[in-house]
Amino acid sequence: MAVGHGDSSSSDKKSTDALSDLQTFNAENLQSNMKVIYYSRTFLSIIGGVIAGILGFKGLIGFVFYFLVMAVTSAALTAKAKFSIHSYFDTWNRVLLDGFFGGLMSFVLFWTFAYDIVHIF
Amino acid sequence: MAEDLVLDTAIRDWVLIPLSIVMVLIGVLRYFVSKLMRSTQVPDGKIVKEGQVIVRARNLRAAANFIPAKSFRARRAYFSNEENGLLHVPKGQAQNPQAQMFSDPNMAMDMMKKNLSMIIPQTLTFAWVNFFFSGFVAAKIPFPLTQRFRSMLQNGIDLSTVDVSYVSSRSWYFLNLFGLRGLFSLILGEDNATDDAQRMMQMSGFGFDPTKNLGAEKDGLDIVQHEWALPKFEQRAEAVLRKLVS
Repeated sequence: MAVGHGDSSSSDKKSTDALSDLQTFNAENLQSNMKVIYYSRTFLSIIGGVIAGILGFKGLIGFVFYFLVMAVTSAALTAKAKFSIHSYFDTWNRVLLDGFFGGLMSFVLFWTFAYDIVHIF
Repeated sequence: MAEDLVLDTAIRDWVLIPLSIVMVLIGVLRYFVSKLMRSTQVPDGKIVKEGQVIVRARNLRAAANFIPAKSFRARRAYFSNEENGLLHVPKGQAQNPQAQMFSDPNMAMDMMKKNLSMIIPQTLTFAWVNFFFSGFVAAKIPFPLTQRFRSMLQNGIDLSTVDVSYVSSRSWYFLNLFGLRGLFSLILGEDNATDDAQRMMQMSGFGFDPTKNLGAEKDGLDIVQHEWALPKFEQRAEAVLRKLVS
């Protein structure tokens, strides 16, 4: 399935010391880490959609659930990076905000699908 | 206004699920077809060389602060020297690659093929959905929308008292269209460009690369202010080693 969902393969990047305040990043690794974030979010938004549909969330609660799932994803990614964000990503915003709304459409699709199959079947 | 319509289970079996499956399969098919059709592209030697020169110049610009000032200036002169610098393109020659790119029939055909392979399945599927699956309520979306969306979502249904949450199959088609993008990126590996805008950007970026970018890179290199960031690295290395040894 997803490259790095769960047991993610975030690999380390070089960054020089704080003396000269330089930050060098290995571009390939950075990009690979971004892909890991993207895949995790997509996968979890699909799963979250199915869960929301099965549980019968209607209206606003469903969207709140989506944001909850995204927050859980961010927390899990942070924990996987052992809380030292700066050795894996360049800014904190990446882990928290990147791809936040990207999974929304997939979430809504699978939410609708599961809701219909379970409740209006 | 009926609060909770009970819909036929046959709709589930014969509309929702087949439509989703068909869209997934068409997406997979399109991915493989585009892979097969892309195999005939022999890269031009000159263009590849120019691309590599640009990559070198870019690396120099990005890492300029890690090398001493003299070496940086030497490298920069190698690139932007007026006589025989690599990035200096005499005016006459600059036009040629661009003209060649445009009149190159292969590239134009490629772009057209990609566009068509994108648009045709979507159009066909949409026509199929409209023809077969119109005139009944297909699904219920779990969140309420305002009355304005009624005409968009309930296209085949002519009752105006039905709740806006009950949508026709056309809207199910659009929902699938947007929502399956995420699924495709998971099951088909890297992003397979089901997004028109993204692919347009990729294509145009690649086509014009060697012509204007040489001049742009040269200008960029000229602008760089060199500031050596590692002036005392011998002392720093010594300090680190002392710490390790002691």
